[in-house]
Amino acid sequence: MNAPSKNIEPGSGSEHAQKPSLLALDGVTRSFDGFKAINGLTLTIEPGELRAIIGPNGAGKTTMMDIVTGKTRPDGGTVQFDGHDMTRKDEADSARLGIGRKFQKPTVFETHTVEDNLLLSLRDDRSVFGTLFSKSDPAGRIAELLALIRLEDRRLDLAADLSHGQKQWLEIGMLLAQDPKLLLVDEPAAGMTDEETARTAELLRSLAGDHAVVVVEHDMEFVRQLDCKVTVLHQGAVLAQGPLETVSANEQVVEVYLGR
Amino acid sequence: MLRMFRSVIAFVGLLQLAMLVPAHGQANDDAALRGEIARLAEADFRGVEAVVQSLASTGDPAVTSVLRALRSGDVYWRKSDKLVVIGEKAPGRSLLLTDPLTGEEIETVKKRETKKVKVNNTLRNAIDAALGGLTLRASDPAIRMQAAAQMFAKPEPKALPALDAAIAAESDPDVASAMRDARAVLILKSSEADKADALDAIARMVARGDAEARNALASITSDDAEITEGAALGIEKIDTSLRYWGYGQNIWQGISLGSVLLLAAIGLAITFGVMGVINMAHGELVMIGAYTTFAVQEFIRNSAPGLFDTSLFIAAPLAFLIAGTVGICIERGVVRFLYGRPLETLLATWGVSLILQQAVRTIFGPNNREVGNPSFMSGAFELGGLTITWNRLWIVIFALVVFFALMFVLKRTALGLQMRAVTQNRAMAADMGIRTGWVDAMTFGLGAGIAGLAGVALSQIDNVSPNLGQSYIVDSFMVVVFGGAGNLWGALAGAFTLGIANKFLEPFSGAVLAKVLVLIFIILFIQKRPRGLFALKGRAVDA
Amino acid sequence: MTQALVKRPLLNTRGIIFLCVLAAVAFGVPYLNGAGALPDYAVSLIGKYLCFALLAIALDLLWGYCGILSLGHGAFFALGGYAMGMHLMREIGDRGVYANPDLPDFMVFLNWQELPWFWWGFDMFWFAALMALFVPGLLAFVFGWFAFRSRVTGVYLSIITQAMTYALMLAFFRNEMGFGGNNGLTDFKDVLGFDLQSQDTRIGLMMLSALAVAIGFLICRAVVVSKAGKVIVSVRDAESRARFLGYRVEGYKLFVFVLSGMLAGLAGALYTPQVGIINPGEFSPANSIEIVIWVAIGGRGTLIGAAIGAILIAAAKTVLTGLYPEAWLFVLGGIFVFVTIFMPRGVLGVWDSMVDEMWRLRGMNPRERRLKA
Repeated sequence: MNAPSKNIEPGSGSEHAQKPSLLALDGVTRSFDGFKAINGLTLTIEPGELRAIIGPNGAGKTTMMDIVTGKTRPDGGTVQFDGHDMTRKDEADSARLGIGRKFQKPTVFETHTVEDNLLLSLRDDRSVFGTLFSKSDPAGRIAELLALIRLEDRRLDLAADLSHGQKQWLEIGMLLAQDPKLLLVDEPAAGMTDEETARTAELLRSLAGDHAVVVVEHDMEFVRQLDCKVTVLHQGAVLAQGPLETVSANEQVVEVYLGR
Repeated sequence: MLRMFRSVIAFVGLLQLAMLVPAHGQANDDAALRGEIARLAEADFRGVEAVVQSLASTGDPAVTSVLRALRSGDVYWRKSDKLVVIGEKAPGRSLLLTDPLTGEEIETVKKRETKKVKVNNTLRNAIDAALGGLTLRASDPAIRMQAAAQMFAKPEPKALPALDAAIAAESDPDVASAMRDARAVLILKSSEADKADALDAIARMVARGDAEARNALASITSDDAEITEGAALGIEKIDTSLRYWGYGQNIWQGISLGSVLLLAAIGLAITFGVMGVINMAHGELVMIGAYTTFAVQEFIRNSAPGLFDTSLFIAAPLAFLIAGTVGICIERGVVRFLYGRPLETLLATWGVSLILQQAVRTIFGPNNREVGNPSFMSGAFELGGLTITWNRLWIVIFALVVFFALMFVLKRTALGLQMRAVTQNRAMAADMGIRTGWVDAMTFGLGAGIAGLAGVALSQIDNVSPNLGQSYIVDSFMVVVFGGAGNLWGALAGAFTLGIANKFLEPFSGAVLAKVLVLIFIILFIQKRPRGLFALKGRAVDA
Repeated sequence: MTQALVKRPLLNTRGIIFLCVLAAVAFGVPYLNGAGALPDYAVSLIGKYLCFALLAIALDLLWGYCGILSLGHGAFFALGGYAMGMHLMREIGDRGVYANPDLPDFMVFLNWQELPWFWWGFDMFWFAALMALFVPGLLAFVFGWFAFRSRVTGVYLSIITQAMTYALMLAFFRNEMGFGGNNGLTDFKDVLGFDLQSQDTRIGLMMLSALAVAIGFLICRAVVVSKAGKVIVSVRDAESRARFLGYRVEGYKLFVFVLSGMLAGLAGALYTPQVGIINPGEFSPANSIEIVIWVAIGGRGTLIGAAIGAILIAAAKTVLTGLYPEAWLFVLGGIFVFVTIFMPRGVLGVWDSMVDEMWRLRGMNPRERRLKA
């Protein structure tokens, strides 16, 4: 088996970076019943960066996001986010520290109205008693978000009644409402029309800068539209990294994607 | 094995003794015996004892009846001619006199015309020893065995010579061994035995290693340091071995309980594992199996009592079919509409369980029904220091057979393959042309059928009542939760772990508290491993 | 111009009607009883139903809104009942069969020499009342803390709540536990000096139960319409989304579980003096599941529906077990099956769909109408 080459692009490792990385995974491993889902993964994301992560099925993409968000504990290695050790945090901590995560299958609160979905996502006191006696009325901020995700006229509809694409947008709107430092987006283009895909790519590009955005994607066309640095995962480790053209010219990557 | 054989013999011997049939041939010298017996008239305690000793020394079983009568104070002598007789109380303050050797009736006389041969406790002990010695020479080895056992239990040092003689004459090695055990106890009891003998006896008791041997050692009163030390050491050894046997017994009982839990739980493991359905009516399917057994036995009792021993072989397949059919009806009639809504399924099947319970109550009445054990499942045997009842043993075997049969069905048959396919990916299985509805019904039916089999087994150890299912449902859920849903090995491990844990806790805490503690343990355990002992790990299960 | 956020009022029309009905019962029943239109026993019976209604509301908050199906809610109810029962036992004083001023009869019978420590303080009403809330709350807290922290959810959680009440039942059946064993606590004489056998006391207790239902309803309603209530529903619908939004799901579940357990305890505390006995049978898993069907038949996630369901089923049970005792389990079982398959939203849900349909016929969007209600 080929040893995964860590960095094609020299100097992108955290040890060379001037300012501290936003997210740094170092030598992370995690196995499930003997199967190594993540195997010595080292990866850094800079603040405001847009990054696409691709890889075949079982490459460890979802597990990597689970580890970053504290859903899964790694067996070894370190995960630093914005100066915090993420291996000791849970999902709620990760959200409070500024990581927003979008699932592959749109996950919104179906029995709430669109408005309430956004209300619940806005930065605010998240404690039980804080919400119990909450008096906040952020109508203005919600109206802005509704405009951004183009759901103004669905404000009082239940999220369950939205179309698939609209749910995707609502979920993105909910992430934005959190105002996260890092957005983890899992296959946002899945199930979208070409037009919606293009709009989503545009949105994600526009978000980068204010937020670091990590997109996990299968769809190469969509990755091309994102026009950003690409990391290829294979068997739980980084196989190649760099601009899409470089990466797609890499023999190992071709081999992995086309089968050996 | 030896021990078991012995106990069977002892059991047979007991029966024969109870009938008091003199097993020996006619007395060799009737006149000599009568001469001895005649000396009982006007004898004082010492005189009586001498007679007892000499009667015993004849080794003639014919004297047993007179010795027995003497012991219970039924020997009299007629004042008129000093004839020694056995007297039996007759109406009107009179006695029916019989011959002490032949038992022939002589006459009925007023009580005051006779005088009783009095006995005291010392004499009674002497008589007991004599009786023991006598039966030691009986021709039937079972009676000799019984005598040895009795001597062991009630040692009387005075019987030592008789015992020695018996040992010398003994041909049956098992009986001889039992007699040597008895001899060891006698030596330990006696104050004048020599040291080497005593040490030998201690060694013999340690080798025997049961509670009685321990008592024999504990009762030693000797001034000799070597002997007391040896005894103390022996007691310690026996205690250790007894403790291990005690653990063994606990484990056995735990396995037995575990096999019952396993039977009750594997059906549940299938319906929950393959279909994600919590079937709260599972306990009632078990109950249906038990009532099927009851009905089959009733039918056999009324029409063909000779077939009683085969009742379970008829009941088991029938219970499987009936419970399985009811299960399929439940699936098609109720559960089918609720897939993907596990909590609703739970409630609906609970409703079904109430209906089934009441139906059985209406048909069979609310009271406990007794289901008989066929002969091959009655009784018990001993294995080393363990007492094992046949019905429990058969249930353990039955549970394992059902378990592995089920394993076979799941791994090696088309239905099993389809079931596993449906478990892993329902939509895909449907696309492959598997009739998922049919597989669901069959799976549910299979789980229900196994519940029915569990009912057959349970009917052998528990009362059959409409509440039977309720009392097992929580436990079987615990097994499934503990072992990990949908994993048969998990159910196996869970059932036996919980069974054994329960039985180990019982001596310390009592049965109820043991159960409570086990429940608390599971509640805590599930915190650590929310999906059970054998659950699949990884992100697939979190979806 | 931004539109103001929609806020649900604490009391909507339906809530007001519910409270009015409660008030009508609280004052109408004694009146009818006084006028001879209602037999004496009916007053206590209605009081008992009201306790069940409160219990159902408590469970609905947990199941209907937070999605946690507890099959062990009877345990909280029974613990509240026992706490009050212990006080009533102490109130008997030396009027018991054995005339022991300190020890309840069953302890004298068991040859106990002194009061166990966990009976201390129960001679004071306020303490017992506090314990009736505190003990169920504590059990809910400890149990919930362990269960939610390790993310035991769905049917697994349901099953272990069932195991919890089953374990408690077994424990309370033991004489050594010090709660009267098999027989439980009974033969109460009076409470706060009022004779429990007198009709006036019974009327008072019934009215108190109605008040408790009203208060319980208002508390639950206040939680439901608050932002926390929205979070709780979110936990039910998409637990992981709620987590990834930064809500500590365990905390919300625990809050609801404890609150619900305490309300159930309150219901139990009111139940004991009205039925005159509390025994380990109240812990039986079957009882707890029956509570669930009350909620299901009334319509979960409605609070009021739960109360209606409880009263409907409890009344049906009283009538049917009196007329055809054999038939009751058939009927109850049938209700379980029927409701789960054909009426998953319960009576109130069916009513809502009917009303919605009516509005739709008139050309109005029912949802908007309801949001504004």
